[in-house]
Amino acid sequence: MHCRYRLLVTVTLAILGSSLASAQWLSYPTARVPRTADGTVDMAAPTPRLADGRPDLSGIWTAANPSRQKAGEDVASDGNDITSSPQMANIGVGLPGGLPYQSWLIPIVKERTANLAIDDPHIRCLPDNFIRAYGLPHLLKFVHTQDLLVVLNEMNAGYRQVFTDARPLPDDPTPAWQGYSSAKWFGDTLVIDTIGLREDTWIDWNGSVVTEAAKVREEIRRSDFGHLEVKLTVDDPKAYTKPWTVTLRQRIVVDAELIDEVCLENEQFVERMRPLSSAQE
Amino acid sequence: MKTTMRTTVLSLTASVLAAALPAYAHHSFPAQYDIAKPITLTGKVTKVEWTNPHIFIYIDVPDEKTGEVVNWALEMGGPNALLRLGWKRDSLKPDDLVTVEGSLARDGSPLANAKSIVMVSTGRRMLAGSSDGTSAPEER
Repeated sequence: MHCRYRLLVTVTLAILGSSLASAQWLSYPTARVPRTADGTVDMAAPTPRLADGRPDLSGIWTAANPSRQKAGEDVASDGNDITSSPQMANIGVGLPGGLPYQSWLIPIVKERTANLAIDDPHIRCLPDNFIRAYGLPHLLKFVHTQDLLVVLNEMNAGYRQVFTDARPLPDDPTPAWQGYSSAKWFGDTLVIDTIGLREDTWIDWNGSVVTEAAKVREEIRRSDFGHLEVKLTVDDPKAYTKPWTVTLRQRIVVDAELIDEVCLENEQFVERMRPLSSAQE
Repeated sequence: MKTTMRTTVLSLTASVLAAALPAYAHHSFPAQYDIAKPITLTGKVTKVEWTNPHIFIYIDVPDEKTGEVVNWALEMGGPNALLRLGWKRDSLKPDDLVTVEGSLARDGSPLANAKSIVMVSTGRRMLAGSSDGTSAPEER
């Protein structure tokens, strides 16, 4: 069934004509993509590796969304089927009991959820931090070298730097949207530690946050060509009663490229949105 | 024949893609639109704003009863989403006659979130990259 779908889309794009294909790199073939005999991306092919033998995390990634995938479906994205993850709305959706909010944060999140996130910084075109970006429907492009991992975010032409030289984290960092990230390898797992995040940084659409006190650890594994598993632990005693851990799964995007998505070009939703209660009058 | 074939395949593709409707929302859908109020509008394009975070087109729609022409604003997905769906920035031009299916704004203004757009002259139907109510904050 999947092959038929891919064939249909391929035929359609071909029929659309060369003007579309040549206009820009919308569907330019990604290099070194392992494929099966019928041209389907081999998601289970071996993990690409850097010159030093470490896993190469490079590639364009989007949230794997099990709630939107059919049973047994495990396919590469071509950028035309990207969706948000259920964790975009509630990053603690898989945790028994949900996120362990401190008491002061409970009414704040409740109000933000009830208000349909109309105060969301994302809507005001402010940057999404990396925790949230894993679940949003905006492509992330990892550019990985031996000493540096750069993550380009399609949204607002954003970027994040992860230094993979195990450098010490800063002592008194000025808060930043993406914080300060240093990483080292444990076997084939890249362990990234981040501090220095801004106060009241939203990490999901419900309005959950991290604070300046947050210490965030990502344990990233690329077990094969098509998948990235990000095990993320937040230790933020100011906002949460205990550390919590979630897994943010990603799948590869091929034959696609990032496209301008600069939010402030024509943002006009903040003025138009209103709480649900006000519009039902 | 070629045009018919193209239209057929596009329609098929649109149907397939609709089954996995992308959630390209920049904002909460129900904070602005009512999924329970579908609307179909036919009119001439007066303006195209091919801009982020979402594209807007404007069409003149004559009122069936009064004949008064109302200029409707129709929100679509972002340029990246529409480009990936096969749109080009000049796919719609002023004076094009289109039929739009979508959801009405909750504030009563002549505004809707477009779900699909049909070019009346060719019958070509394209998805509009709507978030379609699928991207609201999760209820607790």
